[in-house]
Amino acid sequence: MSRLAIQIKDLKKSYNNIPALKGVNINISVGEFFGLLGPNGAGKTTTINILTGLVFKDHGNCLVFDKDIVKDYRYTRSKIGIAAQELSVDWFFTIEKLLYFQAGYYGISTEKAKRKVNELLDRLGLDKKRDSRLRQLSGGMKRRFQIAKALVHDPEILILDEPTAGVDVELRHDLWKYLKELHHEGKTILLTTHYIEEAELLCENVAIIDEGIILKKGSPKKLTKELGNSGLTVQIGQNVNDVDISPFLNDLNYTIEDSRLHFSVKDPEKAIPEIIQRLAKINIPLQSIKTETSSLEDVFLDLTGKSINE
Amino acid sequence: MINWIGLWTLTNREVGRFFSVYRQTIIPGLISSVLYILIFGFTLEQRISEIQGVSYTMFILPGLIMMNTLTNASSNTSSSMLQMKLLQQLPDLLTAPLSGLEIALAYIIGGTVRGIVNGILVLLVGVILIDLPISNLPGTLIFIFLVSWAFSSMGLVMGQLAESWDQLAMIQNFFLTPLSFLGGVFYSIKMLPEWAQSLSFINPIYYMINGIRYTILERSDSPVSISFWMAVLLTLLFTSLAIIMMQSGKRIKQ
Ligand SMILES: Nc1ncnc2c1ncn2[C@@H]1O[C@H](COP(=O)(O)OP(=O)(O)OP(=O)(O)O)[C@@H](O)[C@H]1O
Ligand SMILES: [Mg+2]
Repeated sequence: MSRLAIQIKDLKKSYNNIPALKGVNINISVGEFFGLLGPNGAGKTTTINILTGLVFKDHGNCLVFDKDIVKDYRYTRSKIGIAAQELSVDWFFTIEKLLYFQAGYYGISTEKAKRKVNELLDRLGLDKKRDSRLRQLSGGMKRRFQIAKALVHDPEILILDEPTAGVDVELRHDLWKYLKELHHEGKTILLTTHYIEEAELLCENVAIIDEGIILKKGSPKKLTKELGNSGLTVQIGQNVNDVDISPFLNDLNYTIEDSRLHFSVKDPEKAIPEIIQRLAKINIPLQSIKTETSSLEDVFLDLTGKSINE
Repeated sequence: MINWIGLWTLTNREVGRFFSVYRQTIIPGLISSVLYILIFGFTLEQRISEIQGVSYTMFILPGLIMMNTLTNASSNTSSSMLQMKLLQQLPDLLTAPLSGLEIALAYIIGGTVRGIVNGILVLLVGVILIDLPISNLPGTLIFIFLVSWAFSSMGLVMGQLAESWDQLAMIQNFFLTPLSFLGGVFYSIKMLPEWAQSLSFINPIYYMINGIRYTILERSDSPVSISFWMAVLLTLLFTSLAIIMMQSGKRIKQ
């Protein structure tokens, strides 16, 4: 097994006796792009905040590169860059200055941080705004600044708490591209999101969390195969009666609606030849076949009984 | 092991913060001190010609220095901490490899610098406007330093406890300002009835004012050594409290 960047073991946390995390377990390998998916209040931010030292845990432990986040906090925090969900405000300093401050907190002198700061301002399209204050930036620019701030000490692990919330489509695609680049450069990335599309596109593995419990883990592909309602809809040339065909198809999970047959299968594409063969055997003429692949969204609905954006 | 660059950076930020808004953090104290000198000093001087052998304006000046110093020192840390909490800046510090000790020290130094700057400016106003003689300059500076540090630490405690600007304003209005006034900025407690004199003895600011008054004018209602040790005690007390609170993180983390 590959080396682990983050280990979260049986993590529990209550706020005023109301449980927010009820025993969360997550392992993230070095270089992995990992997504934590869940609706509002699921416990995503709480998990992340415990990892970065903003929230006290009640139970369990977290390791970053095998070091404990409480005992070895200097080490673990220096390995992590975090772009928080809440945007911060500052009206005293320019964003360039704020990046130098941020580097300084991590023990990097202004001199040494210069190259990285310039590179990030450039790469995130903030170069022209370097002398502006945060409040003079648009919402999207603030998000980008947030990411620059997380990267200024060149951490091995990047944690992004809903980085594309409230961001327009164009910028969202830009950010996705950038995150992919960072991933290719070898960074381990932990991302929380409400956007299924984002998770499907970026993440190698996801965990679905709801009400403080991890319901399911795996690659988006595996999860949709295992859990979604994917299937095949076959349009046939005549109306058929279930009684006539059921003896030949009763090992399959299907429904009939006039001249349409729907088969529930995990992997629709692979099932096509088999279905064609079976129908040909009983002389049923085919007009068209349509595959339906389910998305993580369906998986989510299946597991939690609610939509992720509820 | 200490994260020196981190400590230096945060200190720098704290100092830079108040200098960048000097109109709110330096000028007001200066103006009000000048006003006190003009209004109280020059008008009352006609009636109260001398207290303890010095002119009334001179008599009140050390107290004005103290008041300005401690108000500025405490409000720098308390408002900076509260602001960081309310504006979501605190997470930047708490997720960085900075210890509670480093964060606390940086804040305290920031407030101390503001206290010292304000204290020395009022001292200069005194020297320029009324030819204030300073009998023991190092002593004066030591008092300004200790009081700045002590009240900067106190402000950091308050800032961690406070959840709103209201609460900070209350501490200023119901504790610091009254205790400064009652500590004898404008009078010698010898002019008070007996019971009020004994009340002054439990007011720490009374010792600060009389301590610095002694180093400048050689006049004091109580021995300067007591004032000095009182200042040291307050400094140690509030510094430890501020640091311990920051290290525990109970008031700033969930
Ligand atoms: N500071 C707090 N005090 C009390 N309860 C809290 C606090 N922070 C979070 N909670 C509660 O803990 C639960 C988990 O919240 P958390 O912020 O971790 O959810 P989330 O998954 O990040 O949600 P979102 O998608 O809305 O950001 C929620 O029920 C929330 O109300
Ligand atoms: Mg959240």
